[in-house]
Amino acid sequence: MMFHKALWYQNYKQTRMIIWMTLALFVVFLPFQSTLALETWKELQEQAQLVDDSIYEVQQWDVLQIFSEGGLAILVTLSIIVLAGMLVGLERNTRRNDFTFSLPFYRNDLFLAKWFYGAILISLFHSVNFWIAYFIIYQSEFASALYLVSWTEIFWGPLLGFLFFFTFSLFIGTIAGELISQIALTIVFAIFPLGLFTLIQGLIDVHFKYYLNQPVWLEYVTPFMYVFSNTSTIATIITAIAFTVFFLLLGTFLYKKNKIEHNGEFLIFKRLNLPFLILFSLCFSLLGGMIISSLAPWNADALRIVSYWIGFTLFLLFSLLIARRLLAMNLMISNKA
Amino acid sequence: MRVKHVSKEIHHHKILTDIDFDIKTGSIVGIVGRNGAGKTTLLRTMVGILDPSFGDVLIENESIFRNPQLKQQIIFVPDSSEALKSYSTKEMIHLYKQIYPSLDEDYYLQLMERFALPEIKKIGNYSKGMKALFFLVVAFSTKAKYILLDEPTDGLDVIVKKQVLKILVEEVATNDVSVIISSHRLDELEFIANDIIMIKDGMVNSRYGLDEMKANYIKAQVAFESDLPVALKDQVTILKQTGRVYIILIDKNHDEIIKKIKLASPLLFEDLPLSLEDLFVARLGGDDDVS
Repeated sequence: MMFHKALWYQNYKQTRMIIWMTLALFVVFLPFQSTLALETWKELQEQAQLVDDSIYEVQQWDVLQIFSEGGLAILVTLSIIVLAGMLVGLERNTRRNDFTFSLPFYRNDLFLAKWFYGAILISLFHSVNFWIAYFIIYQSEFASALYLVSWTEIFWGPLLGFLFFFTFSLFIGTIAGELISQIALTIVFAIFPLGLFTLIQGLIDVHFKYYLNQPVWLEYVTPFMYVFSNTSTIATIITAIAFTVFFLLLGTFLYKKNKIEHNGEFLIFKRLNLPFLILFSLCFSLLGGMIISSLAPWNADALRIVSYWIGFTLFLLFSLLIARRLLAMNLMISNKA
Repeated sequence: MRVKHVSKEIHHHKILTDIDFDIKTGSIVGIVGRNGAGKTTLLRTMVGILDPSFGDVLIENESIFRNPQLKQQIIFVPDSSEALKSYSTKEMIHLYKQIYPSLDEDYYLQLMERFALPEIKKIGNYSKGMKALFFLVVAFSTKAKYILLDEPTDGLDVIVKKQVLKILVEEVATNDVSVIISSHRLDELEFIANDIIMIKDGMVNSRYGLDEMKANYIKAQVAFESDLPVALKDQVTILKQTGRVYIILIDKNHDEIIKKIKLASPLLFEDLPLSLEDLFVARLGGDDDVS
């Protein structure tokens, strides 16, 4: 049933624009970037010969830059977040959710249809553009550069990273009440583990001048690292698949339990309000402490501690005010037509 | 279709409380209530958009929540066409054909022609009246057994309104469907509905066949030398007062009340035709805040 034609058609109709934008970004990200990289390498090669009669060698990092990281990968990731937002969050802002839920389909199937739709298109866009980019380099004089990287690094890592990120964004859509909160929460939770660590490190640094070593596993549990980092290994591939499956199952379960009477509000499940309020205030306050303490001179220890707590308290007040507004908002478009 | 002891809480407020009724095919059922009484929530629950806090909605004795495929027999036409306004008429019918396999495309074209609805590239560009008619045309073309309409004539001009009501009556008469309408346009329901469910504070206040309901009340115009006698004031519902002339509604036990009125030597006492709106006011309270 999740392959029901009507659902594919409906999903396409409501995401048409972002789908074409995502495709355009993939084209720029892979084939276009590889063409530009070839030109850059040629230029550097000529310069090397002209200036000091040396031979320019393409490095592993140069190839990884095309296939698995850089600003363009982040743009593709952003378009994937918006795609997930169009599939779930935007339905909540408008009356489309009413239409979708009135259809004779199981809610599980509705959610899985959205996932398959996005996942298949992302895989298709990525694979086709990957092979074009690969071929562009393969037929050039720099073909040997492709031996510097593994399939895991240039193909499976980025593809599974994008799929995991899409699944994660859809999952956030099942707990967020509308489009903007879905996008905001996706970005926040995508960097949350590393972000929280940085904030705690800031707190310890100011008070005890001690640096915590960043645990290795922290990058594995930070979704953003799967689309940003170029260090794809077998371990990251396995965790990407495991997290994709986990968030897909959890998202499907929560979509089924969705109370769409809370559409338009910040969070769908009201029992999440309190944990959100605590987490949001804590992180915001820690951030405030870090920012204000950074303004004090490095060697003035007492002043740094005092300014830390001034920043902490100020941002705590801000966060409580903002959180109250957020939790009371309702962005439901209910225009009659 | 059976709405079985449905209750719904939203934000800790009870919107619906133990709503229980059934609907047979071939009838027009009006769901009547004041603004905020829970009519739209009830319709949205009946089509599975909202989960009930308690209770169930059954078709052929099976829950639509456990087996949503049963919803192929229901179509919900909301009071806003926001969800599908970017579709063309052709795309819309293509979509509905996938969802409702029983959709009769020839019938759809016939109805489109009859109501002079042009095929259009964006439904949002239809006028308000055309949109309302178009969604009804699509709903009836699906051949669904139960058609749920939320305020179908709200904001339409008189001519379109008549067309809408006409198609409703014709469809029920010829195709053995059931139309469930929530509306506060009581004057319209009066002519078409054969069953009225009155909702007050999220509960079924009463359910009547329309004729039976009318038989329970008398509407009369009375005038006395001075004010309406105090003894009568508590026993009748005053619909309107202009000077010493009262328009009143007299309940079931009217024989006794009529005797009392006659004993008070009225200057004027005559029967008036009873409308559904009068009953609405009588059952659900004063008309000041009824919209």
